[in-house]
Amino acid sequence: MKKKVMAILCAAGMLVSMTACGAAKPADASGAATDAAATDAAVATDTSAATDTADAAGATIDLGDAKFLTEGVLNVGAEVGYPPFEDFAEDGTTPIGYDIDIITAVADKLGLDVNIINTAWDGIFAGIGVNYDVACSAVTITPERKETMLFSDPYINNYQAVVLPADSDQKIESFNDLDGMTIALQKETTSDILMSDYKSTGTIDIQIVANEKITSCFTQLENGEVDAVVVDSTVADGFINSSDAFKIAYEDQAEAEQFGIAMAKDNTGLQTAINQALKELESEGYIQECYDYWFGSAAE
Amino acid sequence: MKFLKKYKKPIIVIAIIVVVVIVLGALKPTEQEMLSCASPEMQKMIREDATRTRKRVTVTYESLIVVNYLSLSTSGAQEISEHYVGFVRNVYPADEGPMKVVGQMVNYTYRMLGCGENLMHGAKLTILLTTLTVIFGLLLGTVLALGKISKNKILSGISSGYIFFFRGTPLLIQLFVVYFTVPGIFGFAWRDIFPASDAEAVYKGAFTAALIAFALNSGAYCAEIVRSAIQSIDKGQYEAAKALGMTYGQTMGLIIVPQSIRRMIPNVSNEFIMILKDASLVFAISLMDITTISKNIMTSEGSYLVFIPALVIYLVITAFFGFIFNKIEKRFSVYE
Repeated sequence: MKKKVMAILCAAGMLVSMTACGAAKPADASGAATDAAATDAAVATDTSAATDTADAAGATIDLGDAKFLTEGVLNVGAEVGYPPFEDFAEDGTTPIGYDIDIITAVADKLGLDVNIINTAWDGIFAGIGVNYDVACSAVTITPERKETMLFSDPYINNYQAVVLPADSDQKIESFNDLDGMTIALQKETTSDILMSDYKSTGTIDIQIVANEKITSCFTQLENGEVDAVVVDSTVADGFINSSDAFKIAYEDQAEAEQFGIAMAKDNTGLQTAINQALKELESEGYIQECYDYWFGSAAE
Repeated sequence: MKFLKKYKKPIIVIAIIVVVVIVLGALKPTEQEMLSCASPEMQKMIREDATRTRKRVTVTYESLIVVNYLSLSTSGAQEISEHYVGFVRNVYPADEGPMKVVGQMVNYTYRMLGCGENLMHGAKLTILLTTLTVIFGLLLGTVLALGKISKNKILSGISSGYIFFFRGTPLLIQLFVVYFTVPGIFGFAWRDIFPASDAEAVYKGAFTAALIAFALNSGAYCAEIVRSAIQSIDKGQYEAAKALGMTYGQTMGLIIVPQSIRRMIPNVSNEFIMILKDASLVFAISLMDITTISKNIMTSEGSYLVFIPALVIYLVITAFFGFIFNKIEKRFSVYE
């Protein structure tokens, strides 16, 4: 008898745990989308997006010969887990962040629905035109990358920054001051390319610890496994806003990097349309508003 | 002498290969000879770099047994890259065509084997971690197995609980807990167990954490392997030992465990190969094994060819250890 009761209880528990997940409703995707231009009026677009420019409210940009994987939908590849550019909200399923807000507003301008596809940073570019139309995931525009893909106009400026524990008294005046230190960074990012170059050319002698996720780097810094983290300044700002355990010791102001939306090499129609949308958002002040919302005072 | 007779053919073949490799290896061009083939432009930049604070040229020289590979690339506004492959007194430019593929293969193999790096890199890391894990896992597993089958309720409860916990949770999460959570809670860093002057302390720390997590996990699996092997020994043997007046310890140590070793070898060999492949999970704590390196090369260079040498390296490792396990199994067959 006792065994039967246990079995029933177990079965009931399994059922409850499986159905319980269905209850939580994701919150509004765009946390900062207070702007009127970013309402969801444009979501209900018709098919044949290439010709309809007047049908959808807010969609004022001609899509020309832009190619899409799914009609009426902008599929966006992003490595969700790179706050404040893209991260999951507390519910664990809704992507939020600066990039998400920007690309949602761009899609609204184009009269398209947005579909964010979470992907690993490794191989994110291989998925452009295959799994998603564009990659909008804090992608730095570099000459090498330009050879294999198209970029929109930059929508944010970024610097490479060195982050130290808040109580450290190290002075970092250039990357050369990192000599002899152990640093953490995210694999295959511009930070990785830059630091690997400093190391491989023999400019400085450093130990590089490369991680899949930027969040691991900050955990390692907090635990004391590494001496410093080299990361995009915008991301560093985000982390410093949310934790007082770290400080930015150095920002490489000389070499600004710019983030752009990456798309397939042959999709010039989409590039023109996205650039037009970004220009309009810029003049409406939405980009600045978004920037202030996500990067706050630390970005000044 | 008997050994020589038995393996006459393979020994001759191996001896010929070794001689050929040594001769070819001695004939390959030196680093200086290869460097002298670089374009005058590149040579000039290398000379200038000697006095610069921000150097521009990356010189990658890799010597892989019979061939060597030289890659020169610059960063900054003026980007040039040159590649050379050296083989038997000749230096071939490897910027395009079939030589480029040869150069890439040499480069990828070199990097995945972890040549020119410390022990915690590439194939060396995979082999070291797997071997140590199996050794510690087996020791721990034997203790746990004896605990689980013991008549002592507390001992058996602890062992069963341990096995339940470590088999019931994913290795990746155990690895995260050992590397991130435990030091976070207790306020220490893994690299601090090595002297601060050691530049590679961070990798050694991560390796220690990985070894602990892997050994704890493998211990649970090995416990079940050892237990099933022990319990497969015929009951009559326990009774016979008892009739001879042996204690429980003597029965186990002298009669049962030696016989069960042969029965557990196939399963241990299986476990070994599983760990060999699971070793790639160390990517999560910033170590680079064969899989992680090949994935990195794939992303940074967009070359899908890299996975071919990766597969070959794995197969060579498994073939070697498979051979060793076979020998051990034969060795212990004398009891049956």
